[in-house]
Amino acid sequence: MTVTSDKIPAPRTQQSGGIMKVLKSPTFARLLFPVAVIAFWYAGVGVIKAIWPFAVDVLPLPQEVVGAMWNEIIDPFVDGNQAPTRDNLYITFAISLFRLISGFLIAMVLGTIIGLGMGLSKAVDAFFHDWVMAILAMPALGWALFISLVFGFGNLGPILAVILTGIPFVIVNVREGVRNTPRELFDMARAFGVKRNRTTRHVLVPAMMPFFFAAIRYAFSIGWKGLVITEVFGGQDGAGWTLKFYYDAHRAHGVVGYAAFFIIFALLLERFVFERWSQRVFKWRPQAGGVETVEQAFDVAGTSGAMASATFVTGADVEDFEDENN
Amino acid sequence: MADIKVEHLHKEFGLGDDKVVALEDVNLEISGHVFVSIVGPSGCGKSTLLNIMSQIETPTSGVVSITQDNREALRGYVFQAARLLPWRTVFDNLLFVQEDQSDEAVRERCQRYLDMVQLGDKTEKFPGELSGGMQQRVGIARAFSVEPDVLFMDEPFSHLDAITARTLRAELHEMWKATGKTIVFVTHDVGEAVELSNRIVVFSKGGKLEDDITIDLPFPRDPANEKVAIAKAAVLRKFEELDLVAT
Repeated sequence: MTVTSDKIPAPRTQQSGGIMKVLKSPTFARLLFPVAVIAFWYAGVGVIKAIWPFAVDVLPLPQEVVGAMWNEIIDPFVDGNQAPTRDNLYITFAISLFRLISGFLIAMVLGTIIGLGMGLSKAVDAFFHDWVMAILAMPALGWALFISLVFGFGNLGPILAVILTGIPFVIVNVREGVRNTPRELFDMARAFGVKRNRTTRHVLVPAMMPFFFAAIRYAFSIGWKGLVITEVFGGQDGAGWTLKFYYDAHRAHGVVGYAAFFIIFALLLERFVFERWSQRVFKWRPQAGGVETVEQAFDVAGTSGAMASATFVTGADVEDFEDENN
Repeated sequence: MADIKVEHLHKEFGLGDDKVVALEDVNLEISGHVFVSIVGPSGCGKSTLLNIMSQIETPTSGVVSITQDNREALRGYVFQAARLLPWRTVFDNLLFVQEDQSDEAVRERCQRYLDMVQLGDKTEKFPGELSGGMQQRVGIARAFSVEPDVLFMDEPFSHLDAITARTLRAELHEMWKATGKTIVFVTHDVGEAVELSNRIVVFSKGGKLEDDITIDLPFPRDPANEKVAIAKAAVLRKFEELDLVAT
């Protein structure tokens, strides 16, 4: 038996190129998603129209939603205000953003302090643990109703809703961050006699950053939901209240359109704030883009698997080899 | 010259039935420009001894004093894994352990030691961009860069491939010769200990200091050299006598 190189299959990664490369690219996937959503939307409305005709009046098509959104965008700039009974889009979002950012900042500061305390001290952890879990278990709707009853209209209720819905995620993430800081790096700092405040700044804080980023993202998105729900029930202005306004008016395209503003806002925030900030903070990571790394790892695994099977030899192979060479 | 005195050192972990004795009544003196290796099987307490000497851990009882000209000696440490801060560049990892980071002389010193370990052109790289051998070189440069009186090294080459480990051993020997430091080196590799050390201290399981062997051979020591091979065989025979060879 002779082992030759032509028995070893070429690595899979060498074969995939051209169209497959485009199809597997993240840019293509990103562009494909909205196209798929719109296609599914049209198809969905078509199917429902066929089986349930009277639902058509409340099921808006994409162009109707875009039209409602466009009206909201241009509303303050056209003669004869179309919505004199309520604030325009910009004022509405300014009101809600003020509440969101105020609540978010308070949740971050308080949550970080409590989370640090829980991560560093077992006694503090025991004191807060059950209460954090209780607040975490409370649905945003529960907070919204309770806060609306207690505080009525105004800024205080919605801000409190953002704090209460967001803070448990901050606490839990910061606590886990502290617990997951690598002990061996602290030992290293101690072995070199590095002062405590420098160790805190250059070891503890950077090691916690992935958890801190998770806390920021959760607190912002969950807080945003808590805010909107509270504005629906206990608001007289803001994004949630406007959503309710469209609901009461039985205008589905307005509801969907206004919800789409939230989504666009969240996507822009993720893309232009969180993602860029994260890239800057984690520039030390050897390779960003975990999905790509895993995919490559699968390719390599496939290749090495093939290699392994090609080089697998039995006792009989060895005897053949010895016979041929004697 | 640095003086290390270990007197009646005892260390236990756990309580009651879970109690494990890591070090038992250890007495040891190390003085001057020497390279001392501590060898023994896994779990013999050699890393614990190093951690107590470098103040990472505290002893259950006993005293460790490490002085240089009647003051407390400066310590440096090279770990088994490099233990670099992944979010700081190579140069900033060295700066992190310096007393005065803004001092230009300190920065020049850091650069000099990075040059010595042949990483002078990698100062702005992050540890994740370096190979395991390069990371360990940074760890060695970091330890030397604080200009310690005593340098502790805990199996620093055990994670590396044989060729890289051999190159780094040669570099370490040159740095030890050039800087005149006292080095305490933990290893389970008897060959490595014989190649590098003036003295080899043998520990057995249960943390007992069993023997203190002087290796009086000229440097550099080629493992293929007859006298070096004989010295290694002699230390291994001591291991057999003490029943320390892993089965």
